[in-house]
Amino acid sequence: MHFYLKERLEDIRRRVLYEQYKTQRIPTWEKILLTWIVLFLFWLIVSGNSHPANLITGAVITLIISSFMRDMLTKDIRPKGSIFQKALYFLLIYTPQLAIIMMFRILESSIKVARNVILMDINPGIVKIKTDLNSDTGITVLANSITLTPGTLTLDVKKKLGETYLYVHWIDVETLNREKAGEKIKGDIEEWLKRIFW
Amino acid sequence: MIEYLLLTFGEVIMIFGALGILRFPDVYTRLHAATKCDTGGAMTILMALAIIANAPTLIKLKFLVLAFLIALINPMVSHAIARGAYKYGIKPKVVVDMYAWDNP
Repeated sequence: MHFYLKERLEDIRRRVLYEQYKTQRIPTWEKILLTWIVLFLFWLIVSGNSHPANLITGAVITLIISSFMRDMLTKDIRPKGSIFQKALYFLLIYTPQLAIIMMFRILESSIKVARNVILMDINPGIVKIKTDLNSDTGITVLANSITLTPGTLTLDVKKKLGETYLYVHWIDVETLNREKAGEKIKGDIEEWLKRIFW
Repeated sequence: MIEYLLLTFGEVIMIFGALGILRFPDVYTRLHAATKCDTGGAMTILMALAIIANAPTLIKLKFLVLAFLIALINPMVSHAIARGAYKYGIKPKVVVDMYAWDNP
């Protein structure tokens, strides 16, 4: 009886989340436009010249590609504001913020690993932490950031009963409590990702 | 001046990463050295090259694309190697192993 009620509750919670996701989806032309902006910037940087013929070729080809690959990048984004607001937020605020945060963390973690190599004061262990993100893109970005933060390496992801767990190899285990370990490992990056991805 | 500082820092970090691959006890701790030191070292060296290079801005930005791709791909590859090693049956030398508790 008890387990039956718990299962029903899980089911209802998952369906509410799915309905919210359904109703707040981005329209199709916005998806195409966002994908087109990203692909066209990539074309501009990689091709490296700014002749008009080159620009027109790139614009047409990236428009064709983005019209049928529109779900790959934009499937899991939380909708907020109009299309120009979204594009400006992504280009000017979110991406540079993430790049700067991750740059300093990478420098810190390489210095820490160098110190570990010299002193060999390691105490490794595999711990299990819980995350509140639901979408595949968000979990991927979170796992990559966990791998690049000092002293941790993501081993596996498991989804069970609508909740997502990450197994993390920690080079210097400080605590076994799941909440405290999650706070120490994830830091502020999960709160930051929850504003963007589902 | 800052570019030579970045270049020196990147090369020192790469040397410590190689030393870590030799000194650490098992696969998983060695992957720590491989992932973090290589990503940090390669990214700082690429940034120094982007500052040094005598080229227009549009071409300098290619170095940043390379740094972004390295930072994206390197953690994924290390995750794949660690998971593959665990599934193959290499036991980690650890104090606590919650992954083995859940997958007996």
